[in-house]
Parts: sequence; C-alpha cells; structure tokens
Amino acid sequence: MSRPRKDPRMERAAHLVPGGARPRFDLAATPATSGRLRRDPRAEERLALVPGTLRRRLDRSQRAPAVSVVAVAAPVEAEAAPRRVVIAEPAFLVALVPDAPGGRLSAHDRQLFGAARLLADAGGGAVLALVDGSSEELGAAGADRVLALPITGYDPEAKALALNAALAALDLRHVLFPESAEGGDLARRLAALSGEPFFAGAESLSPKAVTRAARGRRVEQRRAPPRLLSLAIDAIAPHAGSLHEALPVEFAFPETTGGALLSAEFIPADPARVSLAEADFVVSAGNGVSDLDTFRMLVAALGGTPGASRMLCDAGLMPRAAQVGASGTVLEARGYFALGIAGAPQHLQGVARCEHVIAVNTDLHAAMIERAGLAIVADAQKVMPALLRLLGEEGAP
Amino acid sequence: MRIALLLSAGRHRVSGRPAPVPVELQALRLAADLAQTHGGQSGGTVTGLHAGPEIGPLTDALGHGLGHLVHLRMPAEADPAPALTAALEAGGYDLILAGRSGQGGEDTGLLPYTLARALGRPILADAAALAPGAEAGTLSVEQALGRGARRRLVVRLPALVTVHPAAPAPLPFAFAGLRRGQVEMREAAPSAPAPHEVEERPYRPRPKLIAKAAAGASAAERLKAATVAASGGGKLLVDPAPEEAAREILAHLRALGLIAPR
Ligand SMILES: Cc1cc2nc3c(=O)[nH]c(=O)nc-3n(C[C@H](O)[C@H](O)[C@H](O)COP(=O)(O)OP(=O)(O)OC[C@H]3O[C@@H](n4cnc5c(N)ncnc54)[C@H](O)[C@@H]3O)c2cc1C
Ligand SMILES: Nc1ncnc2c1ncn2[C@@H]1O[C@H](COP(=O)(O)O)[C@@H](O)[C@H]1O
Repeated sequence: MSRPRKDPRMERAAHLVPGGARPRFDLAATPATSGRLRRDPRAEERLALVPGTLRRRLDRSQRAPAVSVVAVAAPVEAEAAPRRVVIAEPAFLVALVPDAPGGRLSAHDRQLFGAARLLADAGGGAVLALVDGSSEELGAAGADRVLALPITGYDPEAKALALNAALAALDLRHVLFPESAEGGDLARRLAALSGEPFFAGAESLSPKAVTRAARGRRVEQRRAPPRLLSLAIDAIAPHAGSLHEALPVEFAFPETTGGALLSAEFIPADPARVSLAEADFVVSAGNGVSDLDTFRMLVAALGGTPGASRMLCDAGLMPRAAQVGASGTVLEARGYFALGIAGAPQHLQGVARCEHVIAVNTDLHAAMIERAGLAIVADAQKVMPALLRLLGEEGAP
Repeated sequence: MRIALLLSAGRHRVSGRPAPVPVELQALRLAADLAQTHGGQSGGTVTGLHAGPEIGPLTDALGHGLGHLVHLRMPAEADPAPALTAALEAGGYDLILAGRSGQGGEDTGLLPYTLARALGRPILADAAALAPGAEAGTLSVEQALGRGARRRLVVRLPALVTVHPAAPAPLPFAFAGLRRGQVEMREAAPSAPAPHEVEERPYRPRPKLIAKAAAGASAAERLKAATVAASGGGKLLVDPAPEEAAREILAHLRALGLIAPR
C-alpha cells in the first residue's frame, strides 16, 4: 500500500563525495532510503475495489480482506475493550450530583460526567458521584468514587444539608449539578447554605474558565471554575472511552430532622391537558384525515396529546394551539404519530427534535413517510378505526 | 393572607428594553388568584417589592393586577438581598413569591434561595399552581416537572415559592389598574456592593451538542449518531390491511414505551 517517500535533497546529500573545496556528487552510487512512507493511492484503490459488481464500487472501510498490507501499516483494532482506569491516590476530588430519575442516568447526567472528567483529568483528580441509590452504570459513565446519600423520597432540603456536610468535610474542589429542575434547585440550596460562589448554567467549561449567558443572553460571563457549578444541557459531550472503578466510599452523614414539607405526591402528566410544547407523545392529523371524531377518540385511546397540521387549524377543524410546525409549536416530544400529513418543510421543522416518528399516508412519496421510523402507506380513515378496534379488543378481556 | 411578590428589573427578551419579567407577572397572577379566592375573611393582600435604583416599567405590574408596589431605592451595584430581607421580615408575609430566574440581570435565580436562608423559611421551586392546603396555615403547591408532569407538595406557611413559566398566563393588562395602583418609595439602608468577580463580554452563541455520540467514541459511531436521527431509516409497509397496520403500529409504540404495555 505504501512505498518509501522520496526526499530529493536527502538523496542528493547522500551522493556527496566528502573532501574537496567544492561540493562534488557521485550520482551513480546507490542511494540510501529515507524512513518515511509514501502513500500509493492506486494500490489503495485496487484494494478497496469490491469485486463482482457491475459498476465500479470502492469500499474504503477496509472490511474486505486486504491482500498485501505492508507490514508497517498499523493493525486495525477491532472493537477494543474500554480502557480501565484506576486513580488510587487522587490529587483532588470533583464531585457531581446527577438527577438520575428512577435510578438511571439521563443524557444530561452523562454530560455532567463528561464535564467532571474534564476538570478532574486536567490535574490527576478523581470524580466522586453523589447519588441516591447505587447503580452499575456509574463506572462506565466515568465515576472513580461513589458516595450514597442517605435520602428517601423527595426532600431537597435534607439532600442539600447532606451535601453541605460532605462539602465541608471532604475536600471537594468542585461540585457539579445539572441545570435541570431538580439539579438546579439543589445547587442553589447548597449555594445559599454554604455561601460558596456558584456559577449557574455553564455553557462551556474548561479547567481554566467557565462561561454562561446573563442579562437576557446579551452578555457572556466568564471566570475560573468556582466551587459550585451547574451545567446547561447539551454543552459538554458525555464521557466515553475509559472505564472507571466506581469505588463505594463511606461517609458519616449527620442526622437531619424533617423539613417543612408535609407531603409530596407525584401527579403524572394528563396528556389531554398538557401543552404541545411539554407533551411526550403527540398524535397529529393533517389534511388526509377527514373523520376528526374518530381521530379524537384515537388520541384519547392512545393517551397522546392532539396535534394538527396548519391546514386543519386554518380550516377551523382543530384549535390553533394544536398546530405543529414553524408557525405553531416546535415539539420536544419523544414520539410523533402523523396521520395524513404530507410533511411540508414548515411542518417538519416542528418535529425536528422528535426521536420517533410514525406516519400513515396514502402517498408513498410524502416527505413524512421518508422521515418516519415506521411508515405505513395506507388510508388513515381505515387505519384509525382498526387501531381503535384493536385497542378495544385488548382492553376488553 | 399576606403575600409578597418579588419583582426584578428585567429586559425584554427580543428588544432588550427595560420590561417586567414575564414569569414574575405569572407569579402575580397566582398570588392574585390565591388572595382573591382564598384570602379568608380579611381578604388577601398582594404587595410587590422591588429593590433597585428605579422602578421604571415595573409599574406595569399594577396594570396586571397588583395593588401596591414598594420600591426600595438603592444604588444599582448594591446587593438587594439585605434590603429585601429587612423589608420581608418587617412585613410579616405568609407567602413570598419570586420568579424562577430573572431576565436581564445576573439571571442566576439564586436570590430567592439566599432570602429564604436569611429569613429561615422553607423554599419550594417551580410552582405552576397554588391552592390552600387542607389544614389551616398550609399551602399546596403544584410543582412543574418536565413533560407536563406535576408534583403536589404541601408546605407549612410562612414559606417562599418560586414560580415556573408553566404557570397560567399573566392577567391581561388594564390601564385602569395602572392608574389605581400605588407605588411607595422607601430608601433602603446602604449595603455593600455585591462581589463581582466575573469578566463580561458580548454574548456569543456556542454550538450545541447535536450528535449524541460520546467524546471518546470512534469516528464511525459519531457519524452514525449524526446521520441516523436525521433520516427515519425505518420500516415501510405499503398497502397493508388496516388490521395489520394497526397491529404493527401498536407493537412499535409499545416497543418504544410510548403507550402502556398490555
Ligand atoms: C409561512 C408558512 C408557515 C407555515 N407554517 C406551518 C406550520 O407551522 N405547521 C404546518 O403544519 N404547516 C405550516 N405551513 C403550511 C405547510 O406548508 C403545508 O401547507 C401544510 O403543512 C400541509 O398540511 P397537510 O400535510 O396536512 O396537508 P396536505 O399538504 O394537503 O397533505 C395531505 C396529505 O395527506 C395524504 N392523504 C390524503 N388522503 C389520505 C388518506 N385518506 N389517508 C392518509 N393520508 C391521506 C396526502 O397524500 C398528503 O400527503 C406553513 C406555510 C407557510 C407558507
Ligand atoms: N432587585 C430585586 N428586587 C426584587 N426582587 C428581585 C430582585 N432581583 C431578583 N428578584 C427576585 O428573584 C428572582 C430570581 O432573580 P435572580 O436571582 O436575579 O435570577 C426574580 O425572579 C425576582 O422575583
């Protein structure tokens, strides 16, 4: 694949005949080769050529067996196992408090680990995760040490008191929080409790400086990372590539007395009432849906939030608040079920952030069909009653 | 019930001109509703409090249903916390409402927490609805969580509550309310300027993380993360029987966890 690279000056210098007042070269002598390799694009192409196809096709990923790989070419590592990293004697500790809803790390939590590793790895520090319950994913996420907080149920004040005790006793250089509803609340409680400087909603972070937006996003504030930090979502990439030990550590938390909260009760979202911007699963109708009563029944049966394309809202068949798209609501939903929607660019903008899209449309070439993870080319008027029937049959026994 | 509402000097999100902060006007609506319907025999009162050099367009809050606004005058660079703490302590309020974060100042949302600490009162974050609790002297707070979920918390008064943008929209502006309302100006005791150790420069939007691949992942993984989300890359059924389509859709929704499993 590669042959030695030519260096004319070196070659010429190799022919120099020593001695004599003027430089003299003996070009007939055999030259010595330089060590650097030179690429041979034609040989590479020949290797990448996929045999047996009518059209000339190149496979540059080198999955095809290489015929004559030069010995010096670096061996392609096949799915190397993640590197294990053990930090036995950390120079300092960077703590983080993930939200971990339901005991599982969210994407924001993983980004928090990325940020903590960034701060810790710069000076030989270790990452300490302060969590409610233990979980196996912490090592892969990037935690060197794990400290379980003695908290049950929703009690942010008690959690802040426990964190304050840990902050005072353990030598924590930084404590990181996600700038989410729960994490942001906890960070501010701890900041007020400990009086430590606090940097809210960091949008970029390095061991030297953190930045955030202030004055209605008109100025950027910048300073060296203080002790307490909260991190905005999607600012720092999560950690990957090495496995950490996630060693449990012990700490005697002081006893806390009950806070002022008398009761806390979780109320799940009522899909029929939540606004589109907050909805998790949206079922949406377009111009291809003529039977709106069945559509409404289907939305209720699926437990989704009703949405619509602009055509239906303009026609007054659906409320304006239900319009999805550039001039309506941009969804944050996880799932989007589009019935009879063509998928105009203005509409697709509204679903750009939806992870899973399902489309039912009679037109195979509709843009919505192309966008969807499950696309069904069928009449929505027939699919909707079928769905209702199926849901009814399942609910009956 | 005596309610205090903390109003900060905001700036309009688009034009950058001085304006009230929308979430604080939403807090005003929650306070006004609570005082009107559940004020007890004496009726509830809502008092607005602002600490700053001038009141400016915060008088708009009078038009949105506030009856009485107290302006604690202080230099622009002074720390508002001591003056607000003193005023709140003197007022003997049952409930103190604040916005989730300001818009146009530091915007850290830290001030309500420092006040709660200084006053020794419990603080609850992100209220979307308020109602009196079952027992006298308690308040039931609906806390907005992500994706439209709520958490109902009951807390003993006096307490401090911050309000979330998911709360109902502010009361419509009425000019007569602006004329009727009173602004009372008080000179605040001088306090030390808040320490300011940040460097400021014009805001520069930073690129957001788009691809969900992690930093240490291989190039192939990063490419996959960047392209898979954009294209559906999924299953296509052409002209299935309606029953089959329905079965397929339900199975897909269940696999994604979007509807309850059977
Ligand atoms: C400035 C501007 C802003 C806009 N903003 C928005 C916006 O925010 N949101 C928005 O939605 N639109 C917006 N639009 C309008 C947009 O361009 C499209 O006109 C609109 O989205 C089309 O809606 P539709 O797909 O429901 O209707 P159509 O384009 O009429 O598509 C109907 C689809 O249904 C299919 N169909 C027909 N019969 C059936 C059946 N029996 N079963 C199944 N499928 C069937 C058809 O094949 C077709 O694909 C905007 C336009 C402009 C100019
Ligand atoms: N100068 C001030 N006077 C009165 N209330 C304030 C002042 N500054 C902030 N607040 C309140 O505290 C909340 C959070 O503000 P901040 O900490 O600046 O983001 C605001 O929504 C206001 O309710």
